[in-house]
Amino acid sequence: MIRAFNAELARLVRQRVLAWMTLAVLVFSIGGAAIVLASAEPARPGGSTGRAPTFQSLAEAGGGTEVFRLIASFSGTFVFVVFVGLFALEFSRGTYRTMLLRQPQRIRLLAGRLLALLAFAAAALLAAEVVTWVAAKAMAPAFDVSTGAWTSLDGLGDAVADYGIVLFWVTGYALLAMMIGVLLQSVPLALAVGIAWAGPLEHLLQDAWGPAQRLFPGLLLEAVAAGGVPDVSLSRAIASVSFYAVAAGCIAAVVFRRRDVTA
Amino acid sequence: MTGTAIATDKLTKRYGARAAVDDLTVEVPRGAVAGFIGPNGAGKTTTMAMLLGLVRPTSGRGTVLGEPIQRPQRYLHKVGALLEAPALWPSLTAVENLRVLARLGGHDERRIPEVLDVVGLSARMNDRFGKYSLGMKQRLGIAGALLGDPELLILDEPANGLDPAGMSEMRNLIGRIAQQGRTVLVSSHILSELEQFSDWLFVIEQGRLMYAGQSEKFAADAGHEIVLAAIDPAQLLALADVVSASGLEAGRDKDFLVVRADGHEPRQLAAKLNAAAASNGIVLAELHVRRPNLESSYLRMVERGIA
Repeated sequence: MIRAFNAELARLVRQRVLAWMTLAVLVFSIGGAAIVLASAEPARPGGSTGRAPTFQSLAEAGGGTEVFRLIASFSGTFVFVVFVGLFALEFSRGTYRTMLLRQPQRIRLLAGRLLALLAFAAAALLAAEVVTWVAAKAMAPAFDVSTGAWTSLDGLGDAVADYGIVLFWVTGYALLAMMIGVLLQSVPLALAVGIAWAGPLEHLLQDAWGPAQRLFPGLLLEAVAAGGVPDVSLSRAIASVSFYAVAAGCIAAVVFRRRDVTA
Repeated sequence: MTGTAIATDKLTKRYGARAAVDDLTVEVPRGAVAGFIGPNGAGKTTTMAMLLGLVRPTSGRGTVLGEPIQRPQRYLHKVGALLEAPALWPSLTAVENLRVLARLGGHDERRIPEVLDVVGLSARMNDRFGKYSLGMKQRLGIAGALLGDPELLILDEPANGLDPAGMSEMRNLIGRIAQQGRTVLVSSHILSELEQFSDWLFVIEQGRLMYAGQSEKFAADAGHEIVLAAIDPAQLLALADVVSASGLEAGRDKDFLVVRADGHEPRQLAAKLNAAAASNGIVLAELHVRRPNLESSYLRMVERGIA
C-alpha cells in the first residue's frame, strides 16, 4: 500500500499539478468567498434558511471558515466528477494493467491510490480554507459582515471542525466515485451514471418522496456539507454517509480484486 | 539453461462458450528466448495476461519462475512485462513515468537513466509520453519492463505498429536484452520479427498449441526447397514437366520453380533435378537449396494442419 501511495504522490506532487492546484485554490477561495459574502442575508424570524449564509452566522466565531464550508458544499458535483475521472480513467487508458504488473496486490493498490488522493485533497483543502478565511476577512467589511470574533479561540475550534466536515465530505464522494469507476471502468459511463444519480435523480426523488433526504448518499453528503439540514442532523448524516462509504469501499475492493484486467 | 522459467499445464481461458486459450501445455526453459507465434486473436495476449496475473484462468495450472500464477505477487518483482501497447500517463515525462513505475514496483529509481540509455531515450527523457511517436512509446514501455532488472521478460507484440526502421530497432533491442542472459518470451504475428533471435518457439492458433520446441527444429521439420530457373524463361513449363516426371510437385514463383524437398536430402535432389533438366535439353540459369524461414514453415504447418 505504501508503494502505491508513493507512486500516486509521484504523479500528484509535480510542478505542473501544483501550479494548477494553486490556481484552482485561489480562484475557488477568493471567488467563492466573494459569492458567499455577497449572498448573505439577514436571518429570517422563522430560523434556518438552509445553506444560505446570514450576516449573523457569518459574524460568529466560525464565520470565516463557514464561508469555506459553504463554498465546498456547492462543489459536490465537481469533486465527484474529479474522483470518478481519476479512478475510471485508469481503466480507459489501460494504466491499471501497467500498475498491476508492478503491484499485483490489488486491494493494496486501490487503497494506496485512494489514500494518496485523499492526502493530496486534504492538503489542498487546508490551503483553500486558509486562503478563503484570509480573503473573506479582507472582503467582509465591504459586505457589512463583522469579523471581530473570527480570530478567537472558538474561531480556531470551528475552523478545525469545518475542515474535518469538508474532508469527510470529500472522502465520502471519493469512495462513491471509486466504486462507480471500478464497477463501470469507463469515464463517460461512470460520469453519466454518477451525475445522473447524485444530481437530478436524487433531487427528483427527494421532491416526490420525503424520506429520500435521509436515505440517499448524494443528499446525505449535501447535508454533511451544510452542517445538517432540517430533515437530517449532522451526526445522523455523518453516520449514514459512513455506512455508504464503507459499503462503497468494500464493493470496489471486491470487484477490483476479482475482475480480469484486460484493458 | 537450467530449470523452467514458464510452465503451463492444460491452461484454459473461456469467455462463455468461446475458448480464448484451450488446454495449453508449454514449458519455457530458463535463459531461452522464446517466440510466441499466432495470428491476431489466437490467444497470445490472453495467455500472457494469465501468466502475469491479470486474467484468471478458467482451468489448468501454470507457474512462472517456479511460483503458481495464482500468486503473482511472489514472482512479478522478477518479471518485466509489456502487454499490448504501452499504457502510461501521457502528461508525464519519460522520467516521471518511470519514477511512478519504480515506486510501484519497489525498484531502485537510480536505474532510470540506465534503462533509458538501453532503449535510446536518454535525449528525450524530459519529453511528455503523450508527445512520443509510437516507436518511442514502445521503447519506453520496454524501459519500464527493464526497471526491476528482471529475470524474465514478457513482451507482447513489441513491434506492433512500428515502421520498418522501428521494427529493426526493436529487433536489435530485444537481441541485446537476450544476450544479457535473461529469459524472454516475445509474442508476434510477424514471424520474420522473431526469426533472428528466438531459439524456442510456440505456435498457437485459435487458443490451441500447434507447436512447441526449438526454432531450428520447427524450420527443419518444414523441409527445404529447391529453387530452379531455366536460362530461357520460355522453358519453365518444360522444366515443370521434368520435375513432375520425377514424382515431385513444383510451384511457380515469378520466373522460378520452387520444389519442396520433403523426404529427400536437398543437395542430392538438386543434383538429380539438374541432371534431369540437362537430359531434356534445358539449361539451368539458377539452382539452389533454400532453407525454410519461419514464415514458410508456419504456413506449411497450417496447410498440413499439424496438431
